[in-house]
Amino acid sequence: MAWRIGVDSGGTFTDVCLFEEATGRVEVWKVPSTPDDPSRGIAQGIEEGIARVGATAADVGYFGHGTTVATNALIQHRGVLTGLITTDGFRDLLEIGRQKRPELYDMQADKPPVLVSRDLRLEVPERVRHDGTVETALDEDAVREAARALKAAGVKAVAVSFLYGFVRPEHEQAAMRILAEEIPEAFACAGHAVAPEFREYERLSTAVVNAYLGPVMRSYITRLAERLATLGVRATPHLTQSNGGVIGFEAAARLPVRTVLSGPSTGVVGAQAVGKLAGIANLITFDMGGTSSDVALLAGGECRLASEAVVHGYPIKAPMLDIHTVGAGGGSIAYVDSGGLLKVGPRSAGADPGPVCYDRGNAEPTVTDANVVLQTLNPEYLLGGRMAVRQDLARAAIGRLAEKLGMEVMATAQGIISVVTANMAKAIRVISVQRGHDPRDYTLMAFGGAGPLHAARLARELDIARILVPRNPGILCAMGLLLTDLRADFASTRLTTLDPAALPDIAAAFAGLAARADAWFAEEHIAPEARRLIRTVDMRYAGQNYELPIPLPEGPVTEASLHALAEGFAAAHRRLYGFVAEGETVQLVTFRVEAAGIVRKAEFQPQPDAGPDASAAIIGAREVWLPEAGGFVSCPVYDRDRLAAGNRFAGPAIVEQMDATTVVLPGMTVLVEPYMNLILENAA
Amino acid sequence: MSNALPAVDPITVEVIGSAFASIAEEMGEALVRASYSTNIKERRDCSTALFDTEGNTLCQAEHIPMHLGSFIGILPHILKRHPVGDMRPGDVFAGNDAYEGGGTHLPDIVLAEPIFVDGAIVGWAVNLAHHADFADRGHAHIYQEGLRIPPVRLYRAGEIQQDVLELILLNCQVPRERLSDLRAQMAANRLGVARMQALCGKYGTPTVLAAGQALQDYAERKMRAGIANIPDGTYAFTDHFDSPEIDGEMEFACRIEVAGDTMSLHFDSPPQARAGINMTYTALLSAVYYAVKTVVDPTILPNAGLARPLTVTAPAGTVLHCVHPAAVNGRLAACQRVVDLIHGALFQAVPERVIAACNGACVSATFVGAHPKDGNLWVYLETIGGGSGARAHRDGLDGVHVHLTNTSNLPVEALELEYPLTLLRYELVDGSGGAGRQRGGMGLRRVYRAEADCRLRLDGSRLHAPPWGLAGGLPGGMGDFRFSEDVTPFVHGSGGLRAGDIVEIITPGAGGYGPPAERPPAQVARDIAEGRIEAGMAAATYGSG
Repeated sequence: MAWRIGVDSGGTFTDVCLFEEATGRVEVWKVPSTPDDPSRGIAQGIEEGIARVGATAADVGYFGHGTTVATNALIQHRGVLTGLITTDGFRDLLEIGRQKRPELYDMQADKPPVLVSRDLRLEVPERVRHDGTVETALDEDAVREAARALKAAGVKAVAVSFLYGFVRPEHEQAAMRILAEEIPEAFACAGHAVAPEFREYERLSTAVVNAYLGPVMRSYITRLAERLATLGVRATPHLTQSNGGVIGFEAAARLPVRTVLSGPSTGVVGAQAVGKLAGIANLITFDMGGTSSDVALLAGGECRLASEAVVHGYPIKAPMLDIHTVGAGGGSIAYVDSGGLLKVGPRSAGADPGPVCYDRGNAEPTVTDANVVLQTLNPEYLLGGRMAVRQDLARAAIGRLAEKLGMEVMATAQGIISVVTANMAKAIRVISVQRGHDPRDYTLMAFGGAGPLHAARLARELDIARILVPRNPGILCAMGLLLTDLRADFASTRLTTLDPAALPDIAAAFAGLAARADAWFAEEHIAPEARRLIRTVDMRYAGQNYELPIPLPEGPVTEASLHALAEGFAAAHRRLYGFVAEGETVQLVTFRVEAAGIVRKAEFQPQPDAGPDASAAIIGAREVWLPEAGGFVSCPVYDRDRLAAGNRFAGPAIVEQMDATTVVLPGMTVLVEPYMNLILENAA
Repeated sequence: MSNALPAVDPITVEVIGSAFASIAEEMGEALVRASYSTNIKERRDCSTALFDTEGNTLCQAEHIPMHLGSFIGILPHILKRHPVGDMRPGDVFAGNDAYEGGGTHLPDIVLAEPIFVDGAIVGWAVNLAHHADFADRGHAHIYQEGLRIPPVRLYRAGEIQQDVLELILLNCQVPRERLSDLRAQMAANRLGVARMQALCGKYGTPTVLAAGQALQDYAERKMRAGIANIPDGTYAFTDHFDSPEIDGEMEFACRIEVAGDTMSLHFDSPPQARAGINMTYTALLSAVYYAVKTVVDPTILPNAGLARPLTVTAPAGTVLHCVHPAAVNGRLAACQRVVDLIHGALFQAVPERVIAACNGACVSATFVGAHPKDGNLWVYLETIGGGSGARAHRDGLDGVHVHLTNTSNLPVEALELEYPLTLLRYELVDGSGGAGRQRGGMGLRRVYRAEADCRLRLDGSRLHAPPWGLAGGLPGGMGDFRFSEDVTPFVHGSGGLRAGDIVEIITPGAGGYGPPAERPPAQVARDIAEGRIEAGMAAATYGSG
């Protein structure tokens, strides 16, 4: 049981990160992804990876995995034929949503397809009132009839969601029992189990997405588990959820809706771990890929957990790291619109045909082409020499754009970078300023293929003084899997007033959640000493409908805990909205428990200080266009693999490694810290 | 101020434009999240914007297009009444009046705050919240409709003007919600002011101001380029307007003249009515700007530049351009019809870019009652969407808010918790989508049961005049209000409900596009299978199914 393995299967490559517990040795292996059945590429990657380090499958003590299976099935609408059973009078709720049209001014826009067609949305008589009393008892015969009709229609999954199912789940539970009898082969789930929270449409949408993805995820997980078993891997496999924690395959198969952000959340967890090692707790993560970029904010080492988000057009109530995605990456196309302004993205040249400089038939300039022209990227080859590029083609394409703008070619190339930087800055404002955080208090952690290339400009745009570029920016996600704890979230909604009279209710709510957490701990075989619970309460002024999550101090729930909640709420409200409503009633709405099973994680060893002299890592020099200098400036090019801990150098400079290029601007200094991360700082 | 501004390159303009947009959006989020009334916190019936010192819109957040009317209206009135030299940082002006405050109806209260940088005003943070109040009032003239507020200081140099606040609150039926929503509006403006100041700090005020001008020039260029693509000519259209507030129907007519890169729009309608259906000129402008943008180019930035190539006229004293003292509370139905008129007229010029008539209304239900335990009043406002018109190549959208409105419905689980009402059904109305090669969108049905005695006012339109189709498409279903047996008949949309009474609100669908016979049989069969149309009707209308 000497090796821990993390696997991140993305669109192009499947990254396998192997970590030997005894020695701390880390190895990385990349194989092409197999999108038709990602488990094939994963099995191949593991097999080759362990052979490469001279281990056997039996030596694998831990297997963690981040996947885009659920999110891709949702984007491409490749879930299963799904049915819905709901309260009489409300079958169209799924389609009506909140009555919002998809675009305010664009008359041609359409809503995302409804995941259950109208003929498969069946109503049954039943009605619970808001206080939990039953006005109309569930008509079980009607449920049975509906189940048979759905079976005859050939559905592979069924969602059950009734009004107030989160207050009184009995009707949904009864319907689930009948479904199990009548159509046991179908995947079934109920609103109260998937998202036990108020607002009927969002809960319904979550249950439907879960059902729609259920069989897809179950078959994927089954195939992967079989392949792992065939390989001889005996470790329990784990999957990352959208909340950044990992869960067992069984739990993931039950609640696939909780894995829609599995991929990007793995990167955030990786960034969190790297930040912790480097001793930097306040981070803004910036993961820039080919077609999109993900940003997230970590305050005190923690990323805000959103309880709800709209994912690919569908509202989902599930704990998700507050990750904001913007449709701009290295492959994003630049163009001049009808009003004469320069725009970048969201259209992307992707990996194929790719940027103009790849010479595979695309003639529209991309962000990568701008970098090749500016020579921030190597103008001759990429990927450590594995891929030649044509700077002349990129230059010609940007030249055509420059003509339309009436600007110089180089200013236009720099302009593309400025516009894309502004787009990224806007995304970062969403997760920082809009949540009451000043980005200037944070370190920007740049990773993904294009993150380190754009980080310096982005940091300057946001007045961020420090950037961290991890040792392996391209495989941070896979590495994150070796650094994450098991995690599950439990919540219950119970509207209560912040008042000592409510103490028994609050204690009871948390006792119930703790019991559910205990059951989960047992299911995941987590030893008592490795169990952690974090409790929060979503609070608001009576009358508001949006709550602020406030941590509840550890220990028994007493009047002192209520004081802590009151103070925490007032501070948070003032920070976000600039005022406190003195004397107004404060309500407690949703109680949450985050359960963590602390696992043994990869431990990285600090490297000895080799002194500040970085000259041994210089492998040449390149003319790089720097607008602040008004032209091309010769910059030293450093080989990342030859840099040693303690090395220091100043910008302007370029750092190249196989999967990333880091740009250091004039006025910035670089330090290679003991864990081999680059720390870029703006000189005061 | 425009003569001393520096030239700014197109990239900086784009970057600052993104910043304006994100400031307006952030203001909107703060407003929704900090608010108390269901109309703001769940239904998002509010808007935010930034303005330059001359009262031109720099950016409007994507909330409710109708609210632009109040925004463009209020600043001239503030500047007329209050010398700029007397303004101080932290001054906040509140206003709502249709004739002295630039508003379009009284519940929409605007808060406007000057943004100071280095002692000078560089722009304005402005937001509007539709306060669900002034309910169960008369609508013969504006004096019956609620408290008229000209732009007055609600805050002076950061200090609340308690006298003014108390005067406003005493005239409101739900003062606690009003106070809290006003606080949320303050939070939104405060954020807008701080973010604009930071932007000026970063780029320099002259650059930001110059970018603001350049963005308006840019919107104007795009608007002109778009209009130039529309064939020159004069295009006219006439429609019939109905409302529970009036007897019979009114004729609304529009005449659009496209000449090169400019467009003139003229509207004729009957003399203003003693009913709340009238529209102020700024309401007409916001309807026109919205409609023209949807046809010409939906990507044009929402700033004042887009209006420059447009000329909008309507005789003063008519329904579509009312003057003091006309009542205006229900102006939205007529505004929606203005949008339909423009689409109908421009069909002759650019048939693929317009859509058939939408539900043509803003069907709304305002319930007012007293809480049994303390006698305090409660007011619940819901506006309900309907069908959106069929498009040349796509069916219309079913059950959505169209054109100038864009609010969300109140969740059943919030509604029943806050008010003594039960929602029995909430669904699409079968058969309400106008037949056509492309089918019109379907209307909505919401059925309420009162659990306590209350008053109800119902607003709507297209109860008699159906939403028309285009290019051979048929009209969509009409709206209707139905009551359980022993409800006393409503007068002009108002009446009382007793505990146990049931009211059924049916909103109009929308018109179809193209001859029904050209609809592919598979799509007709799909609509039948899904119950959207009935098989017998399909055979008669579509000749298939």
